[in-house]
Amino acid sequence: MGEVILTMKGIDKSFPGVHALDHVDFEVRKGEVHALMGENGAGKSTLMKILTGIYSKDSGSIVYEGKEVSFTSPRDAQDAGIVIVHQELNMVNHLTVAQNIFIGREPMKGIRIDDAKMVRDSRALFDMLGIDIDPRDKMSTLTVGKQQMCEIAKAISHNAKLVVFDEPSAALTETEIEQLFKIIRDLKSKDMGIVYISHRMDEIKVITDRVTVMRDGTYAGTLITKDCTKDDIIKMMVGRTIYEDPKTKSMVPPDAPVVLKVENLNAGKMVQNVSFELHKGEILGFSGLMGAGRTETMRALFGADPKTSGDIWINGQKAEIRTPQDAVRLGIGYLSEDRKQFGIVLQKTIAENTTLATLPEFMKGIFINRKMENAAAQKYVDSLKTKTPGIDQLVVNLSGGNQQKVVIAKWLCRNCDILIFDEPTRGIDVGAKNEIYHLMNQLAAEGKSIIMISSEMTEILRMSDRIIVMCEGRKTGEIAIEDATQETIMQAATMQE
Amino acid sequence: MEKFRNLPVVKKLGFNRIILFGVLVLMYVIFAILSPTFLKYARILSALNYAYFLGFLALGVTFAIATGGIDFSVGPVMFCAALISGQMLTKMGLPLPVCLIVSILVGTMFGAFNGFMVAFVGIPPFITSMAGMMIAKGVGSVFTRTQSVSWPQASQANGWYRMLVKYRLNGTQIPTGLIILLLVAVICGIVLNKTKAGRYILCLGSNKEAVRLSGVNVKKWEMLAYLICGTLAGIAAIFYVGAYTTVQPGLGDTFNNEAIASCVMGGTSMAGGLASVGGTIIGTMIIALLQEGIMALGFQKDYQYVITGIIVLIAVYADIRSRKRKN
Repeated sequence: MGEVILTMKGIDKSFPGVHALDHVDFEVRKGEVHALMGENGAGKSTLMKILTGIYSKDSGSIVYEGKEVSFTSPRDAQDAGIVIVHQELNMVNHLTVAQNIFIGREPMKGIRIDDAKMVRDSRALFDMLGIDIDPRDKMSTLTVGKQQMCEIAKAISHNAKLVVFDEPSAALTETEIEQLFKIIRDLKSKDMGIVYISHRMDEIKVITDRVTVMRDGTYAGTLITKDCTKDDIIKMMVGRTIYEDPKTKSMVPPDAPVVLKVENLNAGKMVQNVSFELHKGEILGFSGLMGAGRTETMRALFGADPKTSGDIWINGQKAEIRTPQDAVRLGIGYLSEDRKQFGIVLQKTIAENTTLATLPEFMKGIFINRKMENAAAQKYVDSLKTKTPGIDQLVVNLSGGNQQKVVIAKWLCRNCDILIFDEPTRGIDVGAKNEIYHLMNQLAAEGKSIIMISSEMTEILRMSDRIIVMCEGRKTGEIAIEDATQETIMQAATMQE
Repeated sequence: MEKFRNLPVVKKLGFNRIILFGVLVLMYVIFAILSPTFLKYARILSALNYAYFLGFLALGVTFAIATGGIDFSVGPVMFCAALISGQMLTKMGLPLPVCLIVSILVGTMFGAFNGFMVAFVGIPPFITSMAGMMIAKGVGSVFTRTQSVSWPQASQANGWYRMLVKYRLNGTQIPTGLIILLLVAVICGIVLNKTKAGRYILCLGSNKEAVRLSGVNVKKWEMLAYLICGTLAGIAAIFYVGAYTTVQPGLGDTFNNEAIASCVMGGTSMAGGLASVGGTIIGTMIIALLQEGIMALGFQKDYQYVITGIIVLIAVYADIRSRKRKN
């Protein structure tokens, strides 16, 4: 490890209602691979976005190559030699590899683009990195792994001195990861500083020199990788005090019947042989890191996405669910993690949204019975304490928490027995959060069965009667609430095959 | 102004709809000043001739746009329907009531075809209806061997269909077409605002995925919107020949634009989810009046297009602004 290339000190950043970063410190040396870890929402991305000039910091200092800097755009940071390899690929599929690498800064020969030079330069770049790709190939013909390599090559071609990898391995195969590591080691030997963001504990152990852990927007500490164990890191990641009392025992009677049984559900890469049971009156927590396949599992179960195989029983009866229509008919309601896209019709009123899944019950002949509809909507506005001037208010004008209540009203109106809450409190303020928790407990007590996907550890421990943990499309753990701790869950959530 | 905007009756009818109606009245006054013939009943009837078929087309397109889609085929579909049914009437000698039903059914079939392609096959509405437009043009031409078709005059045998447009009672002409158009418009308004079909069509136009995940068969309802659109184009055919009797193959494209212009002028959002049947009818009247006025003043039809284009831009801009104000 060489001298310090980057020091971030006391970085502070607030968004409306959220203190995203609370005086975070971070340091990278030349020729080191420095892992940045933390749960979802711990602030890793925000920190990197501040470094690369996408966000501006509220306070704190960034010293890069001995000078205090403050980048105002990614372009600025790039020019200084700080580049980021994003998790999602930003490639134009119908252009060639070389064209992609030099997009926006094509070498010119008069008014013509100098294609030959572009190809030559790309080839030189690939040779340096030891990548075997023909720069003249169309981007769309490459595998995701190869595209990722191109992304890296493109980043480095900006004369990089500090490279940030944001979960680069998420879409790669085993051998591709090997190759990625080879490149990273190579960059390291060239004295570059490397930041490596990943959730995969095993990779961290293999490739990194130091680990900095973030937790709830704060700096939790830095460890030397070879001197620490996986458990040390996990402990540091979750080591906050739990301010909500976790559930200590299951509220479900041991003889509660199974209302939903899923066996060997498969749907693409993200859902592999998932099996579980849901009991009457139970809140079944689904935990895992981002991209663990929990939402995909529920969408496949609900019929929103096609499934390749798998059997579903509802109340002991084999159920065929091919479309959301089937699922809704069988008494399943799905509250999506993305309310605005999948949950509500923003430009329609509360009343119209409330009856969306139940409209046939509000008909008088061929006409919609507005009176009945309004009465139902009003009933749920009252019982859920939805804050709104009236039921004819457009949903777009409501706050996130109140929008969520409208989605809940839609499924309560349908009287669903099985409710899937996918990140029910995402983007919702604390007060409304508690109301929604209260409501879920009440529903469970009334005999409804709830599946709750949540990326918030505290939420999982507070609400669930039983916890299923997923990692990379597989179920990696099933934990009774009595045995559940943050550590046991995190262990399962980072478990690889 | 703000006070007027907040009156209950203004809110119910829609501020922009009232303004648009004001524009219609103002235009009439201007034309009446420039050309006193506009004070004559016959002139108004002549203007209305253009409004009937265009009104039915625009009402249909309102449904397609409400789903967040578009139908670019209504004009040629209308001509295709008029050509096929006209050919059956004049060359094949089928009874008139059968031919009128055939006309409507041809429209329905094109609507069903467009709807199926959009909702079930997943081809974008723009492409589907463009293809539908070309097919309609071609089918009409092939069916009549590229000959134009002249429906009978009122005085001829089988001429009674023209009474659907204009009915002569004791020497006065009653615009039956207007009555039927308004009646159908009211029905369309009821369907869109009071029935399950309309609710689903508007909601899926606003957020199709949310409606699908609510367990609604969105494909069925989306297809229905196009089917209604096609059917109304079939009805429009009857009123086109009722007003002008002669149809030529290979035409009809310009009516697509005018029908769509009528909708968006009237406040139907191209983004889907918002539709105003009343606005569509006022929009239709504006275009019909323009067409008549421009002709009466001795200008070419091109001037009409320029003015229509400008009105569309202003009307849509006003709608966007008022929606921003609300949010």
